Amino acid sequence: MGATAMTAISEDQRDCYQEITNVAMGQAADRLARLLDVYVILPIPKVNMISASELHMALADTTVNDDVSAVCQGFIGSGIAGEALLVFNDASFSDLASLMNYKGPLDRHGELELLMDVSSVLIGACIHGIGEQLEISFNQGHPVVLGQHCHVDDLVKSGNHQWSQTLAIEIHYEIENVNISCDLLLLFTEDSVAKINQQVDYLLD
Amino acid sequence: MTKSSFEFAEMHWLMDVLQSIDVGLVILDRDYKIQLWNGFMENHSGLRPDEVHDKPLFESFRDIPETWFRQKAEPVFELKTRTFTIWEQRPYLFKFKNYRPITGRASTMYQNSSMIPLESIDGSVKHICLIIYDVTDIAVNQEDLTKANGNLAYLSQTDSLTELFNRGFWEEEFQREHKRCIRSHNPSSLVMFDIDHFKKVNDTYGHQAGDEVIRTVASVVRQTARQTDICGRYGGEEFTILLVDTDAAAAAQFAERLRKKIAAITVKTDDHEINFTISSGVAEFSAGFTKHTQWIEAADKALYHAKENGRNKTTVYQGK
Repeated sequence: MGATAMTAISEDQRDCYQEITNVAMGQAADRLARLLDVYVILPIPKVNMISASELHMALADTTVNDDVSAVCQGFIGSGIAGEALLVFNDASFSDLASLMNYKGPLDRHGELELLMDVSSVLIGACIHGIGEQLEISFNQGHPVVLGQHCHVDDLVKSGNHQWSQTLAIEIHYEIENVNISCDLLLLFTEDSVAKINQQVDYLLD
Repeated sequence: MTKSSFEFAEMHWLMDVLQSIDVGLVILDRDYKIQLWNGFMENHSGLRPDEVHDKPLFESFRDIPETWFRQKAEPVFELKTRTFTIWEQRPYLFKFKNYRPITGRASTMYQNSSMIPLESIDGSVKHICLIIYDVTDIAVNQEDLTKANGNLAYLSQTDSLTELFNRGFWEEEFQREHKRCIRSHNPSSLVMFDIDHFKKVNDTYGHQAGDEVIRTVASVVRQTARQTDICGRYGGEEFTILLVDTDAAAAAQFAERLRKKIAAITVKTDDHEINFTISSGVAEFSAGFTKHTQWIEAADKALYHAKENGRNKTTVYQGK
C-alpha cells in the first residue's frame, strides 16, 4: 500500500504484527465478553502501512452510510507512540445498553457513558496486550470523544497532518446474536515502526 | 550515600512528590474505603487524610453516584484494566471549587479521572488508584468553542434580513431531500413564490419599505409553515419552501393560504400604506427529476405561468 522504503514492513514482520494483535485482541475480546457476558466473534486483524489519505478510506470502510460515534486515546512507551480509535455504529447502542444493564435514558449522554465504558475495556486491554508481548509498559492518555452521531468522514480532520504514513491495525468486533459492531483501529506513528520492527525482529529470532 | 540510604531518600522524595503533585491521588480498597488521600485531595476537599481514612468513599462524598462509580471501578478490580471518565460524562467526581475562584468562569472544577489497578504480590487486584485531573480550562474553552461554532453555523446558514435559510444552505437541504425522495418515493413538494411588482415597491416607497415588505412576507411564511418545512430566501424577492411528505394538492392549498394571508396584509411606513401580492409555483417531486435542478426548474415554470396569468395566483406544475 504505497509504503516507502524507510518504513516498509516485510511479510514476516506483518505476520508477526498480526500474531501479536491476535493475542492482544483475544485478551480484549475476553474482557469484553466478561464485561457484557456474551460471546464475541474474533475477527482477523488487517495490518497495513497507510498514508494520511488512506486513513480516511480505512475509516470509510468501517461503516456503510451510517452515523457513528468514536473515541480515541493516545498511548506511548519506549519510543513507540500511537493512537487507538474506537468507532461505534450508532445502531449498536440500544443492544449495548441492554447488555450493560444501562438504566438511564439512551440519549447523547447515555450513549457517551456506554462508549466510554466499552472503549476503556477494549482499548485498555488491547494496548496492554500488545505492550506485554513487546515488553513495553505503555502510558495511556485520556480518551477524547472524536464525535457523536457524525459521519465517519468528519471524525478525523483531513489535511495538515503531522505524518505521512502510519502503521494501521484494523480490528472489527462483532457480538454474536446482537446488533453490535465496532471497529478498533490501532495507529502507530511512522517513527515508531522502526522501533516496533526491532522488537518484532527480536521476537522472531 | 550508601545504596540503602539512597533508596530511602528516593522513597522519601517520591512520597513528597505524591503529596505535593497538583493531581488528585486516592487509593481505594475492595470495599471502596479510602486508603490514601494526597495533598491535592486534602486541600481541595478540606478533609484531612485522618478524617477520611478507612471511610467508604460514598459516605464521605455523597455527590458521587455509587452505581455509576462502581460500574467504572469494578472492571478495574475484576479485569485488571484501566478505566477513564471524562468531564463530558460528568463535569466532576468530587465537587471542588474552581482553582481560579476569582478570574475563572466556572464555579466548580471540571475533572477527568483515571482508575488504575494496583496488583498485590499474589497478582490479584485488591486496591485501585483513582487519579483526578483538573481540566477546567479545557472544558470551559471547549464549551465556548462549541457555542461559537453553533453561532457561526447559524450565521452562515441564515439570511440576515428574513432569518430564513439563505440560498446556499437551503439548496444543501433541498439536495438532501431530493436524494431522499429518489430513495423513498414519498411525495414532497416545492413551492416557489415571489412578490409581485416588487421593483415598483422599491422604486415608489424606497428600499427601507421594500425591506420591510420582505421581512413581513418572511414572518408570514414562518407562521404558515410547519416545523418540518424548509423555508429559504432564494433571491431578492424570491422565496422557496420545501414541504416534506406533502403532495401537490396539499402544497397548493398551503400556497393559496400563504397567498391570501399576504394579500390581506398592509405594511405601514411613516407616510404610506403598502399592499402587495405574491405569485406561486408548486411542483411535486417526480421520478423524472433525476437532478435537483430539474425540480427547481419545474416550480420555476409553474411560477412563470402564474405570473403570465395575471399574478396573485398559484399554479401547479403539470409535468409538461
